[in-house]
Amino acid sequence: MGRYLLRRTAFLLASLLLAASLLFVLLRLLPGDPSNALVSVGATPEQLAAARRQIGSDLPLPEQFASWLGGLARLDLGTSFVSKLPVGSEIAARLSVTVPLTLLAFALAVMVALPVGFLAAWRSDRWYGPLLNGVAQLGVAVPVFWIGMLLVTVFALRLRMLPAGGFPREDWAEPGRALTSLLLPVVTIALVMSASLIRYVRSATVDVLGSDFLRTARAMGESFGGAMWRHGLRNASVPVISILGIELATTFLGAVVVESVFTLPGLGTLLIKGIAEHDYPVIQGVLVVSTLAVLLIGFAADVVQRLVDPRLRAHVGGGRP
Amino acid sequence: MKGRHTFAAGCVLVGLVLAMAVVSLVWLPYDPSDTTGGRLAPPGGEHLLGTDKLGRDLLTHLMVGARIALTVGAGSVLVGGVLGVAAGLLAGFATRWLDDALSAALDILIAFPTLLLAMLVVAVREASLGSAIVAIGLAMSGVVARLTRVLVKRVLAQDFITASRTSGTSWPRLVTEHVLPNIWPTLLVNLALQLGLAVLAEASLSYLGLGPPPPNASWGRLLQEAQATVLTAPIGAIAPGVLLVVLVVGVNLVADGLRDLADPTRRSSR
Amino acid sequence: MNSKLAGVVAALVLALAACGSGQEGPAGGGTATPDASAVIEIGSLYEPQNLDNTAGGGQGVTEAFNGNVYEGLFRLTDAGKVDNLLAKGYEVADDGLTYTFELREGVKFHSGKALTPADVKHSIERVTAEDSQSARKSSLEAIESVETPDDGTVVVKLAHRSVSLVYNLTYVWIVNADAEDLATAEDGTGPYELGAWKRGSTLSLDRFPGYWGTPPANNGVVFHYFTDATALNNALLTNAVDIVTSQQSPDALAQFTGNPDYKVSEGHSTTKLLLAFNDRKAPFDKPLVRKAVSSAIDDAKLLESIWAGHGSLIGSMVPPTDPWYEDLTKVNPYDVELAKRQLAEAGYAKGFRFTLDTPNYDPHPTAAAFIKSELAKVGITVDINVITADEWYSKVYKNHDFAATLQEHVNDRDVVWYGDPGFYWGYDDKQVSEWIKDAERAKTPEEQTELLKKANRRIAEDAAGDWLYLYPQIVVAASNVSGYPVNGLNSQFYAYGIKKS
Repeated sequence: MGRYLLRRTAFLLASLLLAASLLFVLLRLLPGDPSNALVSVGATPEQLAAARRQIGSDLPLPEQFASWLGGLARLDLGTSFVSKLPVGSEIAARLSVTVPLTLLAFALAVMVALPVGFLAAWRSDRWYGPLLNGVAQLGVAVPVFWIGMLLVTVFALRLRMLPAGGFPREDWAEPGRALTSLLLPVVTIALVMSASLIRYVRSATVDVLGSDFLRTARAMGESFGGAMWRHGLRNASVPVISILGIELATTFLGAVVVESVFTLPGLGTLLIKGIAEHDYPVIQGVLVVSTLAVLLIGFAADVVQRLVDPRLRAHVGGGRP
Repeated sequence: MKGRHTFAAGCVLVGLVLAMAVVSLVWLPYDPSDTTGGRLAPPGGEHLLGTDKLGRDLLTHLMVGARIALTVGAGSVLVGGVLGVAAGLLAGFATRWLDDALSAALDILIAFPTLLLAMLVVAVREASLGSAIVAIGLAMSGVVARLTRVLVKRVLAQDFITASRTSGTSWPRLVTEHVLPNIWPTLLVNLALQLGLAVLAEASLSYLGLGPPPPNASWGRLLQEAQATVLTAPIGAIAPGVLLVVLVVGVNLVADGLRDLADPTRRSSR
Repeated sequence: MNSKLAGVVAALVLALAACGSGQEGPAGGGTATPDASAVIEIGSLYEPQNLDNTAGGGQGVTEAFNGNVYEGLFRLTDAGKVDNLLAKGYEVADDGLTYTFELREGVKFHSGKALTPADVKHSIERVTAEDSQSARKSSLEAIESVETPDDGTVVVKLAHRSVSLVYNLTYVWIVNADAEDLATAEDGTGPYELGAWKRGSTLSLDRFPGYWGTPPANNGVVFHYFTDATALNNALLTNAVDIVTSQQSPDALAQFTGNPDYKVSEGHSTTKLLLAFNDRKAPFDKPLVRKAVSSAIDDAKLLESIWAGHGSLIGSMVPPTDPWYEDLTKVNPYDVELAKRQLAEAGYAKGFRFTLDTPNYDPHPTAAAFIKSELAKVGITVDINVITADEWYSKVYKNHDFAATLQEHVNDRDVVWYGDPGFYWGYDDKQVSEWIKDAERAKTPEEQTELLKKANRRIAEDAAGDWLYLYPQIVVAASNVSGYPVNGLNSQFYAYGIKKS
């Protein structure tokens, strides 16, 4: 396990380095000029040149690259071209919205999907089994922002029960208000996410229900619940954990769109603004942090899987199997 | 039997959208930039589904949107499919360090999230139909490549392949005669699912203002624009969403149906 | 609207005799007792890019800080008058080249330091500095030196007369010369100090207890920033904000007009939508062609389809709030037959084809589509090329690589750009350049007005551009809120008079 962790960590760092370099190169291929975000109509050629000097986009590329990687090694993501704020602290502030949003939505989705998915498989002969399956089938086809729009229309504009968007400026100092602002976004993400989870859970359950070992266990006199608990759960959990890892990462990234719908000051809205303003340090920072998050989630899912099922052998490259 | 019904239902749904797109090439109720309809005209009368806030015919825009959705879906599957299958074949045939390196590269590509990747490509290039296709296709290629690699490895491990390899069959022949015929059903199903995801990704990009620029409104953009008038003219905020669902459900059903048809022993489990 | 372009513009001019509904002082009227402990929640689309108006802070920082956090020597009121603020008064030498400003006493910065002439000198020089990104830089080019003879006086020496100097100084923030970081923090003299700026969400202003003047009528304000008009309207509808500084979508207005819970005020704006030609290159180097295009487009119909009856037509670059405004809408009237005759006379009887560079955000794409269909009627084919704001700066603004483009111009008094042949649209008329140069060097405002009127008339006759329409300026507020500026327009928004009951 120790050797595996070491190898897995090395892989993670290498991936991050590669991703960071790739990002830098891709962004500099950009035809745009980031200093354009700082000037307005009426700017003279001298002012345009001054804007470029100010943000250091007139420095040679290798120099810019070295300073970006050097900063990264010191966990310093640089300073925004536009806001002049340190990118690291901006991202940290945004994570206080995006992380709770992701985790709450994910938790809700799992809580809904596990029983529903199981029921859909276990009772596929009753009328509601196929119905649940059909709803899930529909759910995976619905664009997440559309759900958000519809929920805002109904619960904020019509019923006036919940805020239409925004996040209290007191942040989590007022947990009640913060949670209220997150309620609709959380439900929006959870609805879509649970639909796809239900399908996985259902399929895993179908496989287990039809498996020989369960039949054997039942034949040997174990109760259905006991057999499920002892054998079924363990066997079903391995693929489910891997799926959960992927889905958690997807939730985190799906938050980008939902934050826009609800004007939440999260990582996604920061990225969109950064792109519009060609604010390279911000774009690079957000994407590196997101990539790191996805890699870490994958890492965690792998480790948990190994703990659950020690039979798994080292998977080359360490990716999710 | 079940697979056939699923497949047929999916075809009907996809066909509906396809028909809209095809008709839009030769005939549209109005010019897409025609603003003579008056602001937010209600459905019925001269405008079957009413007009938007600028007086443009909604049905016209939905038809143009169908074309964009299908173009982006098919285009990105083409890009992602070609790149992914090529990379997957390479990785599948590769051994030791090359295989390791390729798998690691694929893992990174997959860790790089589709939508963010697409946003990055849009940043590097510009918001346009081409950018969206390239972006979504690229993101998809990682998943396709990984699947292809696994499938190829599985085929290569079979005895008859080992036999023909030792007898000196060149590997291009190996690919065309043994590998591809064995893996294409699974690949096809997966690509169909990817098409649905691509359509949704494009809608999200457009909603965020990163899709093809106006006046070629895609469904995602129509929804974004209709948000302002959701209380006064709800149809604009509903119709494009319904079409998106129809198309994606259709595509998913086709994929499910294909899987069941290709492998009748397997129960339709997803 | 593009906040970047709107840019560092400072406030809009509602110059002297602000006409029409130009209200002196606050609008709205609550009958209930105002609550001085209330915090006003303001909704806006213009978040500052950073907090320094000489470093690309943009329209947002002007809106939030001008007059609220920072003060100038003078203040431009919501009605367009120039009042003394940190200057108690001033004297101009007979040659018009020396201005002596007397500073107000007892003024303190938020950091506690007292205001000195050195701070004023520093503040003016920040704007004129080489690396300044202030849009005001060129308007202060006449300044030769700033001197501080004693603790209560600032002397500004000019290279040539500058009739608008005092007016232009209303946009120069007086900052503490010792302040180190003005991009993410502030040190001004205004009635509010910065509470917290949560980027992407809110910016709060708290009362400054040491303020020299009348304290604000409220206990502070919070600006809530939104990225689209719909979210902004939803916030107002759900009472998350009390007031919206500038309504950018007419579609939601129906929900507020005729609703007793809200009050809608339409004030004056200086934002113009332009179809700008590249006057250097054929076919738009011929005035006749430009006139034909102007006459072929039905501006009234365009305005109706985008703004549903709000806004106005101007026929030239000058909005009605400028002293040198004239109604020039008849110079190039909407007349398709006239347009066809002019095209024939210019040698384009069969029309021509050109590419229209169109910024990718509203209302430009819509206007482009409209123009395309209008010009098709006179045989001109338009290829719409949609570009990003960034590309617009590089391609059109810097490299002048375009045939025609659409752009909104928010700056006040920006007719002067027609006097600069190097400006992006490349209009080059020696007489106009001279008039505009002389106008700034005029001895009296009357003389300035006379010259700028001539220049404006000439550019209209030459159809130097096609001025499609003037945006409306619409403020929507909850009806229990009063005392807000209605012309505060996209840029300045004095918050200290706002009361909530």
